[in-house]
Formats: sequence, C-alpha cells, structure tokens
Amino acid sequence: MSHLREWAHRLAGTFRRGRSDRDLLEELRVHAQIAAESAQRAGEPVDAATRAAVIRHGAVAQAMEAQRDQRGLPWLADLHGDVRYGLRGLIRDRGLTTVIILLLALGIGSTTAVFTLINALMLRTLPVRAPEELVYLLSHYPGDPRNAGLDWKYYELFRDQNHVFSDFVGTSPAWHLQVATAGTVPEELRGEYVVGRFFPALGLDPATGRLITDEDDRMASADANVAVVSWSYWNRHFNRDPAAVGTRITVNGVSTAVIGVAPRAFTGIIAESKTDVWLPMALARQAKGGVRGVGAIGRLKPGTSIEGARAEISVLNRARNEEIAARGHDARWLLATMEVEPAGAGLSALRDSAFKPLFFLMAGAGLLLLLACTNIASLLVARGATRRREMAVRVSIGAGRSRLVRQVLTESLLLAAIGAAAGLLLAYFGAAALVRILDAVGRHEPLQIDVRPDATVLLFSALAGLGTAIAFGMIPAWQAFAMSPVSCLRDMSGVGEPKSHRRFGQGLVVAQVALSAVLLTTSGLFARYLSDLRHVGLGFNADSVLLVHLNPQGSHLNATVLTARYRELLDRLQGIPGVRSVSLSATTPIAKGSWLRFGHVDGFQEAPDKRRYLFLNAVAPKYFETLGTAVLAGRDFEFQDASRPRVAIVNQAMARYYFPDRSPLGRHVTFDGDSLPYEIVGVVADAKYESLHEPAPRTVYLNAFQEGQVQSHFAIRTHVPPLSVLRPVRRAIDDVVRPVRLESVTTLTDQMDASIVLERTLAGLSGVFGAMGGLLAAMGLYGLLAYTVARRRREIGVRMALGATRANVVRVVAGSALAWVLVGLGLGAPAAIWSQRFAAAMVENLPINDPLPVAFSILAMTVVAIVAAYVPARRAARVQPVEVLRHE
Amino acid sequence: MANERLPKADVLQGTLDLMVLRTLSTIGPLHGYALSARLEQASGGAIQLNMGTLYPALMRLEQRRFVRAEWRVTDTSRKARFYSITAAGRRQLAAKQAEWDQMAAIIHTLQHNLG
Repeated sequence: MSHLREWAHRLAGTFRRGRSDRDLLEELRVHAQIAAESAQRAGEPVDAATRAAVIRHGAVAQAMEAQRDQRGLPWLADLHGDVRYGLRGLIRDRGLTTVIILLLALGIGSTTAVFTLINALMLRTLPVRAPEELVYLLSHYPGDPRNAGLDWKYYELFRDQNHVFSDFVGTSPAWHLQVATAGTVPEELRGEYVVGRFFPALGLDPATGRLITDEDDRMASADANVAVVSWSYWNRHFNRDPAAVGTRITVNGVSTAVIGVAPRAFTGIIAESKTDVWLPMALARQAKGGVRGVGAIGRLKPGTSIEGARAEISVLNRARNEEIAARGHDARWLLATMEVEPAGAGLSALRDSAFKPLFFLMAGAGLLLLLACTNIASLLVARGATRRREMAVRVSIGAGRSRLVRQVLTESLLLAAIGAAAGLLLAYFGAAALVRILDAVGRHEPLQIDVRPDATVLLFSALAGLGTAIAFGMIPAWQAFAMSPVSCLRDMSGVGEPKSHRRFGQGLVVAQVALSAVLLTTSGLFARYLSDLRHVGLGFNADSVLLVHLNPQGSHLNATVLTARYRELLDRLQGIPGVRSVSLSATTPIAKGSWLRFGHVDGFQEAPDKRRYLFLNAVAPKYFETLGTAVLAGRDFEFQDASRPRVAIVNQAMARYYFPDRSPLGRHVTFDGDSLPYEIVGVVADAKYESLHEPAPRTVYLNAFQEGQVQSHFAIRTHVPPLSVLRPVRRAIDDVVRPVRLESVTTLTDQMDASIVLERTLAGLSGVFGAMGGLLAAMGLYGLLAYTVARRRREIGVRMALGATRANVVRVVAGSALAWVLVGLGLGAPAAIWSQRFAAAMVENLPINDPLPVAFSILAMTVVAIVAAYVPARRAARVQPVEVLRHE
Repeated sequence: MANERLPKADVLQGTLDLMVLRTLSTIGPLHGYALSARLEQASGGAIQLNMGTLYPALMRLEQRRFVRAEWRVTDTSRKARFYSITAAGRRQLAAKQAEWDQMAAIIHTLQHNLG
C-alpha cells in the first residue's frame, strides 16, 4: 500500500514535479549552512569549515541529483526524454523519416491486409456457445471444389443416423429476398432458411422477442409466415424499437410476422456474408423443387473428436453415394466423399479456394516486409555514420552505453509505431480491394466481409511493428553499444570506420539482392504462367472476337420465327465492314457453366467408373472458322442439316478415346435418356471449354440449326478492333430481331481474363512485389556504393595520381557492385528455386523447374546493379587527383 | 571523497528508515541537519549521513506518508524544513521494530551458539 503510494507520487513527480527544484535546493542549502556554522563554532576558519562540511555531508549538486531521482521515475523521465529527442531527430531528418515510414507502411500494410482476410475467413469465431464444438459437412465430388450444400433428404439421413452430434441443424441461403416494412419500397436482402433447432443449437438468445423454434418450423406456411431479423435491420428500420416484435414485414410479397431480433454480434452463419432475415426452413421445403443446398452444421457430443465424426459420416455417406450414382448413371459418385470441417469460424464457400492464394500473398508480403527491414536497417546504419560525432560527444560527456542503446531503440520503436499506424490505414483499403478482387473471381454469393480491424488484426499489426522495429533497430543499437569513447574520439578526426560496420552494410546489400531475387523469380514465374494460360493449347484464337449475348425471353417469338430471324441476323452481321466471320452457339469458350451429358458410342464398351461426362455445345455453321478451331476431318455443319438426320462433330479428345484406331466419321453417339443417335460428320481440334486450367474435355458439337435448338451467343470475328463494330452490330440487332434484348457484350479475350482474375491478381501483385524488391535492392546498392566512393575519395585520388586511369576506377566501383550482386544471387538462387516449389504448392499447374524465371531474375538484378553503380562510378571517375591532394 | 564512506551507508540502507522513524518518534519534529547530528551522536560517530543519502530517504518516507514535513523557523531564527512522524509512520515503526528485534535475536543466538 505504502509502496503504491510512493510510486503514485513518483509517477506524478515525473510529469508534474512534486516539490520544486528550488524547494529541494533551499533545504540542502540550509543543511550545508548549519553544517558550516557548526564547524566554525568548533573553531575552524570559514573556508576550511565550508570544505569540511562538504566532506562530511556531501556536495549539494550530487544530493540534488539523488533527490531528483527519488522524486520521479528516472527511467520514465528518460523514456519521455528519449521520445521527445527521438521525435526531434525524426523531424530533423524529414526525408529519411518519410522514406522509412513509407517502406514500413507498405510492408506492414500489405501483410496486415492479407491477414485481415485470413482473420475474417478462418480465425474470427462466431459469437455462439462453444464455437469450437461446431463442425459442418462438405460434399466432395472428385475433381470439383468441396460444396457445403446437401439435398434435404441427405441432410435428414445424416441428422437421423449419426451418433456423434448432440445437435445437427440445417440452413439454406435465401438470396435476393425482397423485404419491405410497412409502406416502404422493398430492398434486396440476403436471408437464410433455418430449421427450428438452429438458434438453440448455436446457443443464441434474442436481442428482443424470440427466435425461430421447432414449433415455428412445423407451422410455417405462406399464410402464417414468421421471421427473425438481424440487429442491424432492427436498428435501420425500427430504430431499435422493441415494438417491432409483432409487426409485419413483406418478404417476397408474403406478409410475415417479425417474432424477434437476433443478437447484435451475430451477423449470420456464413463467414463471408451477412444475413438480415431468418425464415423457417419449412417455407423453403414447401416451395416448388424443394430445398437443395442445405448447409449441415453439427455440434460434437462431449468427448467426441472431429476424427470420430469424420469416420461415422464417411460410413453414412456410402448409402448416399450409391443412391446418387445409381440415379444419375455416374459411377464416379461412388468415389465422392463427405468431409467434416470445423465451423467455429462460420461456414465458408470461399475458405477452400482462398486459403492457398492468401497464404501465398502472405509469404510475398512477408518477404517484402523483410526486405523493407533490411533497407531501413541500412538507411539507419548510414545515418548512424553521420551521427557518430553526436554520439561521441554524448559518450564523452558521460552517457552510458545502455542509455545510448535505449535511445536508438526508442527511435526504432517510434518509427515502427508510426509505420504500423500508417500500415493499418493502408491495410484497411488493401483488404477492401482484396475483397473486391475475390468477389470478381465469382462463383459464390456477393461477399460482405468486414475489413475493419478488430482486436486480432490490431494485435497482428502491433506485433508486425514490434518485430520490424527489432529487426531493423538491432544493428544501429548494436553499433551504439559497441561505441567506446576512445574509438569515437578517434573517429571524430574522420579516419575510417570499423571494418565490422562496413561488413554490416555489405551483408545487408547481399541480403537485399537475395530477397529481391526470390521476389523477382516468383513474379517471373507468374508472368510465364499467365502467358501460358492465355496462349498455350487454347485450341481457338482469342484475338479479335466480339461476343454478343442476346436474350429472347419476353420477346414472345416462337422457336421457328426466332431461328429464321437469327439466320437473317447472321447474314446481316456478316455484311458489316470489318467483320470476317460470324456464328452463334449455346456457349462460348471459357464462359461460366458447362452443358454436360453422359452418352455412349456404338460398339464401345466401358467400365461404369471410367465413364465421364461429355461436354456439349450447339453451334451454327462457321463456328469453327469464326473461333479459329481447325476442322481436321469430315465437314462443318450446314444450314441444310436442318432437314437431315441428326449430325454431330466431335473433338480430338473424344475421337482419341472412343475411336483410337479408326475414323469416327460415320459412327454414332447417343446420349443417356435419348433414343435417336447423332451421326459424327466431322472432327475438330481440341479447344478448352469452361476453364483455361483444364485441357480440352471430350466434346460433342451439335448443329444449332437442327431440331430448333435456338441459341443466342453470337461470336463475331473481325479484321478491326472487335469493339469498333459494336455500333453497326447493335443496329443490325435492332433491325432484325427487334423485341429480343441485347443481354451483354464482351470480347473473347476479356471473357478469358474474367475467368482468371485470381491468377491475374496474384501475377500482378507478385509483379509489384518483384518490382518493389528490385527497386529496394537498387536503393540499397546505390546507397552503399555512393557512401563507399565518398569515403574512398582520397584513396581514389592517390591512385589516380599514381597512374590509375578512369577506366580502372570505374572498373573497381562497378566490380564491387557486381561482386555483391553475385554473392546475393548465389544465396538467392537456391532460395528462388525453392520458392518456385512453394508457389507451385500454392497455385495449381504452375510450371516449376522452369529456368526462365530464374534467368529473368538474374538478368534483372544485373541490370539493377549496373543502374545502381552508374552514378557512383561516374562520380568516382570524376575525382580530380590534384583537388583531393590539395584538400589534404 | 564523500563516496568513500559509502560502505558504511550501504550497511545502513535497509535500517535507515527505521532509525529515522525511531528518532522522530522519540524526539519529535526535527530538520534534516538536526536529524543527522542526532543519529551521529547516538551512534557515537559511527553514522555520518551524506545529504545524498539522507534527503532521498526522507523524501521516500514522505512519499509513503510515514513522515510529513513543513517549513518552520528554528530556535536560531532560521527557516528549515521540519520532519515529523505520522500515524502511519508509527504503525510502520512498530511493525519494523518487531521484525528487527526478531532478526537481532536470531543473529544474536547464531553468534553465541555457533560462533
């Protein structure tokens, strides 16, 4: 207690000063005077008495110092002083400070941005009871991404037959709900259908009213509908009025009673989106087509491990697989698995696909941060060299080593703190941009990820800041520690610096070269990968193709009329100047969605588990000519096929598999559930179908003008830039097929790029990381060379006076730059090769063991070395021996 | 130099608080010089307190509210800062005194039975 009081006093004394210095001094003076007087009384002369008093009682100044230490907290006062002194220093070296803070903000910002997403998708736990006990089921069909949606009847199968879950509940998304409170315009919201046990299983309590129960789920119907709304909806529309409970809202035109409000913290079970309305599952089950895509969430019984649940679910799953395989004639379903994953952080369709790219980005951002640290360290070391004089003065007037080290560390921490704060701001925008990119990758519902930093993110950036401060502050601190007054005073004469310091500088540059070699290799790897994706093995020519999608829905034209109009439109489009060739099809290459059917070929026997889907397309004549896919045998479709028996064209992959040693022409293919066969009349080259990542599947093309299969995707190959013919194309559409709407227009290259947004983003970001790396290495190299040349001016002058030519001097400077780069590359190349493996593990189909990216990074670093060496080398060559010697 | 007496002061460090409190409790309010003179006299000259030791100790006691201080006029019409013991100081003194007695008894026993 009394100690606490002392510390409170001293804390106050540190800032507000307890007793004033004058008061302290006065007391000591009185003491000294009385002491001197008493000595005088003992008969000593005045001078001697005063001296004796000082000897006996100590000097006033020292006692004052001791008093001051007791009055406040000296280390806190020192820290206060260090911070003020440090800030003054940072403001004085404004340029340097700005550069360092920018580097830090970039490094910390990019790592924190990536971490924000990792946190939101994988770490942030749901605000529910015991989230660690929650798991969810993921169905995995071979070759497809995992999928959390089950058919209702299989949800029931797992619910009723498992022994591992104390609760097993289902939820199904309700997208695009039109929700309106009384008298307002409906707004589009995301909802969830949930079973009655959903809220109790999660252990949630309502903010007000009550939550959906089993009773609600049993009773709900279009006439007696109930809903729970989110806290945010309640706040927005009811201003948090408890009377909202019992009022009615309209959901998709159905009057619905609001029975309660979900707790504020709970924004839904899906990690990457927010739910505003929960409705009883019964409504979804009563709807036409029933409910599909039920997310199944289980709460593990006490003592049951997730492995136990996996074992049981996989046994139960066999029954499901056999049923689906038998129903769909797809034996591959027998290989499908049902996987169990933790759901404590929410259900996520994005987690699987985003995990590796995010991890990869984290590695890149981390490397960049490390590189920034080495750069900052070398900047600080260089500044340390100019501050040696100041340090020397402080050491010689008695500053302790630990004091100097503390000062230097305080400065590093200050820089890191400002950098981390700026980084956090950057991370907010960076994470939002990443969310938009992930959103564009598509194939899942629109993302609503909260990227505002929470405690975890703040902790992460604080740790990143602290880590970097230690990483880049260590070396200057060590330099301060190693400083002895003697060497400092010697240094003040300007004679050289310890060899160890120079080694540090060189070591840092070597490390920078090695790190940026890794970054550059990775960016080279991605550039190569992207170029391969866009150009290798496409099977069609993507340049100069305009894709126009029409929508005949609502035009009330029957198939016959539409077919005639479309044929007329093809002719009209063909006549537009600049257009080379026009066709139409059911789908275009690398568009989203596939048309799949099982089929068999006369005389070809295959084991059920070898059967694969056939990929279909219905195309008009000249489709292959328009897309640039070669017709290898037989003929193209003709409009006259309309009145002939069914015909088909197959690709090489199909021909190779079914007709390995004979011509497919004249053979027949029949689709399951279809009686009439198609006669194969042509073979075309393999062309990628839905994905740039997959080689061409077995593809069957049907004639779009046979049997009235009208299709509305027009492809137009041009001589001119494809978008330049858009205006006449629109006019032709207006003139010929009037009520039919123009749905969308794009080019084939854009459509391809849209399918590889993630790859392009990774390539772009790794390109940025690589360029940044090269730039930072160049800065480091330039700094070290410029410093070396400045320091060795005299030596260069002497050498030149003794007969060295300018070429010799340039060679020496450029030589040392190249030497450092070579050492850096020697260290960086194995790391770069390893980093390729790492990247390949993160991103499928990366071309590893490709020497080109490594060669690219070596070339780039050599260029960097030459550029960085140019100015210092020229400066060295301009040294005038006479001037240097006269200066001495 | 004054510092050369430090070994003696070091021995005092732990017990200085106790001695100061005891003196103030017995004699009543004293200023710093009188306190140090009193301690010197009582110890037969063995304890000579440096100002750099005495005043931080007094300040510490003041911060812990064991003593309070005020500027007063001395008998010789000089202004000086007088220290007096507080109620909390007396309680502390009693507690420390008991501890000290116990320790002294132990040391005494050890000295005579083992020495």
